[in-house]
Amino acid sequence: MIEVEGLYYSYSNDDNFAVKDVSFKVAEGEIFGFLGPSGAGKSTTQGILTGLLQLQKGNVSVAGYDIKNISRKMFNKIGMSFEQSNVYSKLTAKENLSFYSKLFDVKTRDPMKLINLVGLGGKENIKAGEFSKGMKHRLTFARSMINNPNMWFLDEPTTGLDPAIAADIKDIIKEHNNKGVTVFLTTHNMYIADELCGRVAFIVDGEIKLIDSPKNLKLQYGEKMVDVEYVQDGNVKKETFSTIMQKDKDLLRQIIADKEILTMHTKEATLEEIFIKVTGRGLL
Amino acid sequence: MKLLSSFKKELILASRGFYFYVELIFALVILAVLLFAIPQNFSSTSTEYLYFNLPQEGREIFTNNILKNDLDGESEIVEIEAGGKTFDAKLIVTDEEEIYIVDSEEAVRMLAETHRNIGAVIELNNNNQLHYKYYLQGYESTRLKNLISILQNESMDVLEERFNNQDVRPLSTGYEPLSDRENTIPPLIVFSGSLMGMFIMASYIFLDKKEGVIEAYAVTASSVWQYLMSKIFVVLLTSVVSGIIIIMPIMGFRINYGLLLLLLLTTGFFASSLGLLIASFYKNLTNAFGVIYLLLIIMMVPSIAYFIPGWDPFWIKIIPSYPLLQGFKEIILPNGDIAYPLIVSAGFLAVGIILFAITNIRFKKTLSV
Repeated sequence: MIEVEGLYYSYSNDDNFAVKDVSFKVAEGEIFGFLGPSGAGKSTTQGILTGLLQLQKGNVSVAGYDIKNISRKMFNKIGMSFEQSNVYSKLTAKENLSFYSKLFDVKTRDPMKLINLVGLGGKENIKAGEFSKGMKHRLTFARSMINNPNMWFLDEPTTGLDPAIAADIKDIIKEHNNKGVTVFLTTHNMYIADELCGRVAFIVDGEIKLIDSPKNLKLQYGEKMVDVEYVQDGNVKKETFSTIMQKDKDLLRQIIADKEILTMHTKEATLEEIFIKVTGRGLL
Repeated sequence: MKLLSSFKKELILASRGFYFYVELIFALVILAVLLFAIPQNFSSTSTEYLYFNLPQEGREIFTNNILKNDLDGESEIVEIEAGGKTFDAKLIVTDEEEIYIVDSEEAVRMLAETHRNIGAVIELNNNNQLHYKYYLQGYESTRLKNLISILQNESMDVLEERFNNQDVRPLSTGYEPLSDRENTIPPLIVFSGSLMGMFIMASYIFLDKKEGVIEAYAVTASSVWQYLMSKIFVVLLTSVVSGIIIIMPIMGFRINYGLLLLLLLTTGFFASSLGLLIASFYKNLTNAFGVIYLLLIIMMVPSIAYFIPGWDPFWIKIIPSYPLLQGFKEIILPNGDIAYPLIVSAGFLAVGIILFAITNIRFKKTLSV
């Protein structure tokens, strides 16, 4: 669905590249996570893929269209949810979606159904300018589905949303993906990436450091640990043991046999910890 | 269909915004000024103060000569104040002048000084010849001063003969001049109908830039040119409406509205495209304000030349608002040249199309993420 090869981009048209030698492929029906801290080149790459930035160097095709000679028809197939909400503040939620629904050559979705889907039911006749940040974000997200895209670009889709709404948004993404929609997810939130993505790419300073599935990354870079709380000489003690290292395994076995165990939790390395381990950089 | 949807959306946005009403209110204000503040024709009456320091007989001869031109043939005794003093005066009102005949040189001097008008004392010198003393304001042109000198040094008979022998042939006999009020319309319509369009168009774009909706539009199957054109349509609509608001109550049905509409649309298209082009270079109105302000000032220079017939240098004719002004003037002139507004319209349309094409490329290139 997406093929990127040797992509470079410079805002100043010199060797100061915001994106350098980026190559990857996204298969049809996949949720592909593009992860990295702010300024890593995520939005620049997504901007090129969606035609918002002009391709300078490299080969890019999206939904079967070559980005070098971008065709407006391509946009019938793609949807884009922006990180910064960008809806007409003087139009109501319904007017916003109705307007955008007329800008495509394909069958579009009922604005009211989309409004209800993102939890804005009952607010359809309120001007978007009167919405909270989260509500605007949901409207922006709803708009990205108006043309039934089969290639869906999502830039930080759950940013600024409360956990319940964020969970609903994640469910909508999963539901659409189950119907065959390909998702290109740009985020610095490793939890949503871990939960949704089949594969993730780590991008730092404009370069992709690795691409793999979260499961493989955890197997490769994660270290399984166990947190144990037990009673020793009348005092509560808390220790963490590796489930891989033999010394820790022996100690844990001994504690289970001899001591009174209060709590015991297995702990898996998070994607964020792996990102830091691989790139040497944090996500913020 | 997409263009129509965009146009409808722009109309809704404009009707819920501020700038749409600014232009219409501005047009109403201009109309009010034209109707109530600017007279049909400006008065060209000047005021003079005279003192005849002559024997009674001489005084009467001069006064009676002037009185022949009085509108009702009778003078009026009035009191006039100057420098805290009140002076008695005989007022004679002609088509062109209000002449106050006073009783002392002091009165002439104080009145001329206080009211900033010309005063004159006519007296006899030692040789019993007429002697004229003028109280001028200092800003009179050399031409006027020379004229006064000639008038006093040449025999009136010689001058009259020369005047009568002048052969004056009008170049155009079918020319009907506009009233002063009508003559004021072209500069105002250029500013309100066309130049405001440039500013308002740029404002619309900056509002969209602020909300990020251009980017959202750019990822739809609709072209950027349709987005830009829908905005131009709104500006054209307001330009036409504001133009009609200003012109119709004053000119009635005496002008060719088809031609007016054509000129308003083509010049509005040019101005909006220029506004779009400027907006493509800047992030917000504050950054672009300097350029917009400078352009507005430049575009207003021909309006100054319009009111100073003797000042019409070549470089002013290069400024786009010059042909625009003349085009509107030809439309409202009773015997105006129809070809001129047509040529001007074609020119503005052509330049507008070029500017729009450049703007379209700029907007495609400068959509940022």
